[in-house]
Amino acid sequence: MKLLHLYYDIMNLYGDYANVSAMKRILEKSGEQVTVDRLTLGDSVDFSQYDFVYIGSGTERNLRVVLEDFRDHTAEFDRYVSVAGKVALLTGNSFEMLGRELGDGHGDITMGMNLYRFDVKLQNKTRLTSDVIYTCDFLEQPLVGFVNKCTELTDIREHLFQVQMGLGDNADSRFEGLRERNLFGTHLTGPVLIKNPHFLAYLAKLILGREPETSWMVHEKAGYEVTLQELSKRDKRDV
Amino acid sequence: MKKTLTILICKLLRFALKLIGKGSSKPGQVALKLCPDILSRIELPRYIIAVTGSNGKTSTVEMIAHILTQNGKSVAWNKEGSNQIEGVTTLVLDSATLGGRVKADILLIESDERFARYTFRYIRPTHYVITNLYRDQLTRNGHPEWVYDALLDSITDGTQLILNADDPLVSSFGEDRDNVVRFGADKLSSDTEELVSVYNDGAYCPVCKSPMVYSTHHYNHIGHYRCTACGYHRRDTQYTITAVDLDRGVMTIDGKYEITLALKSLYNIYNILAAYTVASIVGIDGAKIAADMNHYVLKNGRVITFTLGKRHGTMLTSKHENSISYDQSLRVAAAHKEGCDVLIIVDAVSRKYFTSDVSWLYDIDFEMLGHPNIHEIVLAGKYVNDLAVRFSYTDIPQEKIRLFSDIDSAADYLNSDRSEYLYVITCFSDKGKFLVKVKED
Repeated sequence: MKLLHLYYDIMNLYGDYANVSAMKRILEKSGEQVTVDRLTLGDSVDFSQYDFVYIGSGTERNLRVVLEDFRDHTAEFDRYVSVAGKVALLTGNSFEMLGRELGDGHGDITMGMNLYRFDVKLQNKTRLTSDVIYTCDFLEQPLVGFVNKCTELTDIREHLFQVQMGLGDNADSRFEGLRERNLFGTHLTGPVLIKNPHFLAYLAKLILGREPETSWMVHEKAGYEVTLQELSKRDKRDV
Repeated sequence: MKKTLTILICKLLRFALKLIGKGSSKPGQVALKLCPDILSRIELPRYIIAVTGSNGKTSTVEMIAHILTQNGKSVAWNKEGSNQIEGVTTLVLDSATLGGRVKADILLIESDERFARYTFRYIRPTHYVITNLYRDQLTRNGHPEWVYDALLDSITDGTQLILNADDPLVSSFGEDRDNVVRFGADKLSSDTEELVSVYNDGAYCPVCKSPMVYSTHHYNHIGHYRCTACGYHRRDTQYTITAVDLDRGVMTIDGKYEITLALKSLYNIYNILAAYTVASIVGIDGAKIAADMNHYVLKNGRVITFTLGKRHGTMLTSKHENSISYDQSLRVAAAHKEGCDVLIIVDAVSRKYFTSDVSWLYDIDFEMLGHPNIHEIVLAGKYVNDLAVRFSYTDIPQEKIRLFSDIDSAADYLNSDRSEYLYVITCFSDKGKFLVKVKED
């Protein structure tokens, strides 16, 4: 199987790269031979040869640079996701590129790739951060993680998560992220797939078309339980 | 009248709170309420030196104060590292006469990166040191460029910028500006040609976002860089580390002053150089500065030596969520030639606020502990599972690693017949939990 870590050197804040390491590991433990390609700005990309595509988070300036490059791959990426229905995970601010418009909060608007109907607005000089607990209908257990952003997203149609604690798409939203077929876009930062071994297993199952091997994830599961417990305590205190 | 009253109240509060061992930000907070523009009503000394950056602020400020005081200058400074506007207000008013004049030759301010723009609206630094901008506390700070933008708002005309030339983002503050002084290191014997780091924050030019190349790396993305497109490059330095020998623990500044290091880390040498630069600008003779820095042991409690049963060790404290400072601590342990054990503790992620986020573990280059100098690795604390998973993504053999979910058991386990030196690497919030188990030297 082939995995693509796209914009690996410019969209890689907060240890994002480890999502690809985790995916490689679970596929290998499930008996697959796995290679990882790391590509970046200016590289030619043949999406059709990949089984999993990952893009991590970057600074606001880096995102603008990457958007101009990714724009050239719009049709091919759309084919990968919408026609082939293959698995892609975009974490942090990277999935903001897929929307219609990215506003800077002062009236300047950059066009997004316009693959999905949502808009992004920069919240000037305000960093929005929080630990989060999310739920979704395709996983029995909640997701844990951290959001660190400076934007609000509106008009997402196909939501990925429901917010149980912490930040959502915008101040009024109880939803977070985007799901279109097997494309997953979320503002969760860092090694989301390591912090949530059940989410990793779910994505691996989509890629493999069968149940992945998960018996090796002992510390992963224990770590997840500790964090969920800590966050749940916190959640009760806030209420 | 209002001014005098505010100063008086601030002083009294400061005195009272000090007696009961309370922090230094409250008095300033009250003063700012009573008289919001109090800082602009104070007569300040000729030298107002500010220090900011992700790492090394507290250490650098302490060393500057030490050198200046040793050389007969009176210095008002925030010893407790209370570095937001309230703490700075306390410092200024507490060192002022009731008439509103700061009674010192030099006002020395450690400033938080995010709050500098508020503090310096009223107190304009004459000299402004920026040490570095690293990934640091993502839970509050976002990322280095975000902090860069916040700091940009704090720089006013008429201030001399004193910048780390080897940090590409920091040095870019000085582009198209007059009155800039830079400090940095020549190519050093400890340098590497290739990047040694989990990630590369020097991959792209901070000015034009084209790829950058390095002729040498001092550590992580700190080194000699050049943009392949716009020509932005590492500038020449006025104050320079010309050589360093970490084995012997000796650094040389400007080719002539040798300083013996109490802590053999590259980090430490940058802090010393920054302090040297400031003291030189204030007019202290280089030889005197070098003498004051020789064998200087920081008093801020970030490095503590101890005895645990028959074993000796050093605790290196840094913020968990700062991978470059963490890498430095790992580097110190890996360089311990006689062989050592390492204890890593993550029991609370942060001292100042709640978070359960452990993303930062993946920005740390734990692979360094695979060095043969490291004999045993003990991981401990509430987040021991997360540590175990992180280590499973290194090439370090599992047999070398022991896990304990509580710090007590880890300390008991380490209190053994083993003779290896022990390094304990942790953050401020967890250090006390281990120190109760040892005898501090």
